[in-house]
Amino acid sequence: MTLRPSKRSQKAALIFMLPAAGLVLNGCAEKQVAAQVFSTPDECAAFYNPPEQCQAAFAEAEQLHPKVAPRYANKQECEADFGAGQCETAPEKHQQGSFFMPMMMGFMAGQMLNRGGLAPAAGQAANPQTAAASGRNSVPTQPLYKSRDDRNTFRTATNTAVASQPGTTNIRPSAVQPKPATLARRGGFGAQAAQRSVNRSYGG
Amino acid sequence: MKRQPIDPRPGWQDFAQSVGFSFHTIDNEPYWDESAYYQFSLQQIEQDLETPTEELHQMALDLIPDILASEQQLQQLAIPERFWDYIAASWRSGEPHLYGRMDFSYNGSGPAKLLELNYDTPTSLFETGFFQWVWLEDQLMRGQLPPGTDQFNSLQDKLEQAFAQLPLAQPFYFSSVTESTEDKGTVDYLMDIALQAGLNCRYIQLEQLGDIDGQLVDMDGFPINGLFKLYPWEFMLQEEFAGTILSSKTQWLEPSWKLLLSNKGILPLLWQKYQGHPNLLPAFFADNQPVEAGWVKKPLFSREGANVELVTASGQRLTEDGPYTDSGYIRQALAPLPKFGDSYTLIGSWVVGDSAAGICLREDNSLITKDSSRFLPHIIVD
Repeated sequence: MTLRPSKRSQKAALIFMLPAAGLVLNGCAEKQVAAQVFSTPDECAAFYNPPEQCQAAFAEAEQLHPKVAPRYANKQECEADFGAGQCETAPEKHQQGSFFMPMMMGFMAGQMLNRGGLAPAAGQAANPQTAAASGRNSVPTQPLYKSRDDRNTFRTATNTAVASQPGTTNIRPSAVQPKPATLARRGGFGAQAAQRSVNRSYGG
Repeated sequence: MKRQPIDPRPGWQDFAQSVGFSFHTIDNEPYWDESAYYQFSLQQIEQDLETPTEELHQMALDLIPDILASEQQLQQLAIPERFWDYIAASWRSGEPHLYGRMDFSYNGSGPAKLLELNYDTPTSLFETGFFQWVWLEDQLMRGQLPPGTDQFNSLQDKLEQAFAQLPLAQPFYFSSVTESTEDKGTVDYLMDIALQAGLNCRYIQLEQLGDIDGQLVDMDGFPINGLFKLYPWEFMLQEEFAGTILSSKTQWLEPSWKLLLSNKGILPLLWQKYQGHPNLLPAFFADNQPVEAGWVKKPLFSREGANVELVTASGQRLTEDGPYTDSGYIRQALAPLPKFGDSYTLIGSWVVGDSAAGICLREDNSLITKDSSRFLPHIIVD
């Protein structure tokens, strides 16, 4: 008897469609980098940092703040996440009024301010693209926020918790890369499906 | 080719549910039906289905340069002029394609007749590649089928190879219409295979796709450089983000040139070029007039049998309503589906990359196969 090759798959296994099998995705071992977190430039200076570098880092974060802070269509939605009186108007307008964003509650200085003196020139990283382009291996200087239900924790604009007290903290640079606040237009695909909803599938 | 009754596996519904196949029964009507199977000989599979599938696939691909060079043909296929250059560029740059399914009328002897190409958004993939495969393994294990029984179904293996080998952008996104659990099931299955092939995959609801300055973006505003969309190209070209397609740096699965082949207008174009080919039926572009006895009328764009009209040789007229009334039509000589018991049976033949990858069978109580038709497994016994 000769064996002929099978006409069917050698296996037909599923990984993530099976509810029992938990998926463990291991990130690459990314090196942590030291950065400093403060509420104000004065607090920064009190940690033995050069006051003018503290001021420069604060100014840089402040400039980035309106570009990266999370956006909300109205004040109520913003305050639900960040607390009463903790939101301000964002630069953009929509048809019903202004967008809102949380107030900046602190800043993260990417370089060790007092050692190496590598604070970037003011404004250099103010553009999120420039900040990201400056290297995924470093921590860009940026604004920080505090959520309504957790007033101790400093968070980035994309809601990554970075520290719960002022001073030095260790973080993975990839987790804290600033990016433009999302103001994408959405819902541009799917209208035909809604119009012709007689079939239960849009394939065939 | 025979239809054979068999006992369903006890408790198969619970297993189906546990692997996300929740649509095995729809509105209390069976969709997955394992109370019978179809049996083929190896020769029927290889000579009558597998070989013609690959040949027809190549014939269809060979038509594409002709169509792109002909304004008349692009107009006959109702391709919006705004996208002609875009589609031509997608073909000329060799944008990879993943899969398709052609539907045949075949009764076990004589040449299988090509009814249409589902080359943009074919579904019933999970049922074919996974659930039908497991059914065979189970029935072999239970001794309900003789040892050595096989199945024409290399779909999952070939999809995994394709995901491992195609030059795809990463992360690669997968998208479907939110309300369709069936489409989400198909996309989940593809993502599962892609994951097994080592691809970095993410899901986004079709309606949540965003546009920033003409670039397609995900929920976080990151650019989407690669996207599988279980959504027809002809819909996308009419919607608000049609312009985004032209400006966005996004690799699509299926690529936009597949729109030329998923169009029913490919059937008259195939007939023009390969008139008399044993696997082709005479087909012509048509207007919206009633058809004569022995002919079928289909819209250029239509799915699951919608808006199809046919008249049998004896003059019996069958029509199926549907939402696809806004494009042109073709007419095709009727090759009635073979009848097994009370059911009319259609064979779907899968293509992954450029290889035939297995078959699936659908039964309906009418000559027009619809989304309510039942899916039955098959075996090969020699």
